Amino acid sequence: MFDLNFAKDSFNQILAATPLTLIVALVATIIGLGLAILVVIAREKRILVLSQFLAILVSFIRGTPILVQLYVVYYGLPQLLVLMNEWGWNTNPNGLPAIIIAFSAYGLNAMANLSESIRAAYHSVDFGQYEAALSIGMTPFRAMTQIVIPQLIINLIPNFTNIFLDLIKDTALIYNIGLVEIMGQANIVSSIGFKYLETYTDALIIYIIICWIFAQLFRLVEGKLRQRYFVV
Amino acid sequence: MLLKITDLKKQFNGQQILNGIDLSINKGEVVVIIGPSGSGKTTLLRNLNFLEQADSGLMEFAGEKINLAQATKSEIQMVRRKTAMVFQNYNLFKNKTAQENIAEGLIYGHGENAKTANQKAVQALKNLGLDKRKDYYPSQLSGGQQQRIGIARATVLNPEIILFDEPTSALDPELVGTVLKDIQQLAEQGQTMIVVTHQMWFARNVASRVLFFADGEIIESGTPVQIFEHPQKQRTKQFLNALADNY
Repeated sequence: MFDLNFAKDSFNQILAATPLTLIVALVATIIGLGLAILVVIAREKRILVLSQFLAILVSFIRGTPILVQLYVVYYGLPQLLVLMNEWGWNTNPNGLPAIIIAFSAYGLNAMANLSESIRAAYHSVDFGQYEAALSIGMTPFRAMTQIVIPQLIINLIPNFTNIFLDLIKDTALIYNIGLVEIMGQANIVSSIGFKYLETYTDALIIYIIICWIFAQLFRLVEGKLRQRYFVV
Repeated sequence: MLLKITDLKKQFNGQQILNGIDLSINKGEVVVIIGPSGSGKTTLLRNLNFLEQADSGLMEFAGEKINLAQATKSEIQMVRRKTAMVFQNYNLFKNKTAQENIAEGLIYGHGENAKTANQKAVQALKNLGLDKRKDYYPSQLSGGQQQRIGIARATVLNPEIILFDEPTSALDPELVGTVLKDIQQLAEQGQTMIVVTHQMWFARNVASRVLFFADGEIIESGTPVQIFEHPQKQRTKQFLNALADNY
């Protein structure tokens, strides 16, 4: 039978692992966003070779499970550091913290998904807006920052929300490389009392609450922006 | 002479859109371009302010000689700062209010301080009788109001030439008159302009010169009376007859 008391007692222990889940998701989003902007610029400017390479990389990342990517980075990154040492760098392949591996793998994953969403949001802004800005003497850079990007952001928010929520949920896999986030903590607590349903139910509730809060937050921001600019 | 274009050529996907255009415009002239759709009228305007890059051609403008196919960034910027364009679909900035739409070009295109730019924008809206709408976003304005603000956005920059690209084509018929009156008023004030339009009464009554455009070439050029009453070329007659049959 479901042990409600065990579930209640375990809840706070599992909740205590929430910061790591959020840190990985947030840092990965920030890394991913920075890289995604560079990817979009390179692809939209059609920089020879680089844009084709990035298109393949993005499609490769989007077409493979994040758990596989996590393992590839987990085993591949130390080997890359060994290679770098051979080239004269001074790194420590054995001392690579698991959290750095998580940031790298999830950051790359976020880059791939965000770059596609940013491209879609960019193309959804009428090109005439950019041309009108140029026609009144704005430089291309100013036309982007004043006119195109603010409109792009409004269009980006729904997809950005999805990607961020997916990242939060996907962090459940970093337990596989030894990091104890919500799911990892639920595993540990359940193994103490051998009451799996109770702890996984706790984890379920925590994920739902976190995702609901962020979904509402982004919806609020999007609503405010649409209301502010009367964009339907 | 304010603007001279020599042998402007432009191709798209192997199709010749502009086939060696020669055009001179004097200060204060109102040049109206008429002609069938797809004849290259809009492409001509877009090549003049480098929204598209010509394959070849020369431009003499504001004392500068510019190779249209190899214009530098500073030459392009100079031309854009001395011209302005009014678009068929208004293209007001959706994330800016009416006032901001007019002020933005002054601030970010011409380096004016925000206070002066905003004062000019408010004055421009007052002149249109739209000052009560200064804080409205484009989505809250009618097509006619948007286009009139689009015209104000261009004129406030005090450009040497305004390029009008079918400014009334996207408007409800009842709003066309108001917008054309605004343009007519500008013409009477001596504003140099090139207007691409399908509004023949405007071409007849406001133009100082009418160009009939077809297949990427200026087929015939003359005063409104010469073009509408005594067209010389067969292609021009054909076009005007087709228009007459439709009314």
